[in-house]
Amino acid sequence: MMPQLVTVRVKRPDRRPIRIWVPVLPVVLVLSPVVVLAVLGGAVACLVYSVSVVQALGTGWRIVSALPGTWLDVEQGRTAVLVTIR
Amino acid sequence: MNEQRKDILDMLAEGKITAEEAEQLIAALERDQPPAASSLDVRPKGKAKYLRVMVDALENDEPTRVNVRVPLQLLRAGVRLAALIPPQALGKANAELSKSGVPFDLTQLKPEQLEALVEHLDEMTVEVDAPDAKVRVFCE
Repeated sequence: MMPQLVTVRVKRPDRRPIRIWVPVLPVVLVLSPVVVLAVLGGAVACLVYSVSVVQALGTGWRIVSALPGTWLDVEQGRTAVLVTIR
Repeated sequence: MNEQRKDILDMLAEGKITAEEAEQLIAALERDQPPAASSLDVRPKGKAKYLRVMVDALENDEPTRVNVRVPLQLLRAGVRLAALIPPQALGKANAELSKSGVPFDLTQLKPEQLEALVEHLDEMTVEVDAPDAKVRVFCE
């Protein structure tokens, strides 16, 4: 399943913590022209380097759909960054 | 064939029990069968879903904590990327590895081998315990 929500939380000393929720699907829809261009660019690169376009697209989709559940939490002193993909 | 199963079949052959009774007894026998010697062998494959990396360290006198959770599915998908690497890129990577003193031939690394490696990751736990850092890598 495609990621639905990316959450980013940044804590910095002496500043208000930042919390960002990114709904993936609407963002992808808004950026769809860029996404199409990126896919086309990737397809051209595959052809240049003799890589199967279908296989590359399939692998790319598998990677994107495997992202939900990823969690990255780094904390040093009073600074912290948390990224979650749901 | 184990002894108890043989006894049941003998009783069936001698007409002491019916075929249905023999079937029930064998089914009961299979239910009561103890697990295999190694508990790892009977652990269902793919049970673990995530690879966890946890680091607790002291850096510049400040506590540093890293907590990463990566779905194993992502590793499996990433492994498939290896099949897409063009041979010329692998050749260049091999040359660079050799230059750095690592004579490793990446072209010999097959995606199936990498998949097998990921498949068995759930049996792995790495723990590093240093005075100022503690690292733990495991699957859950």
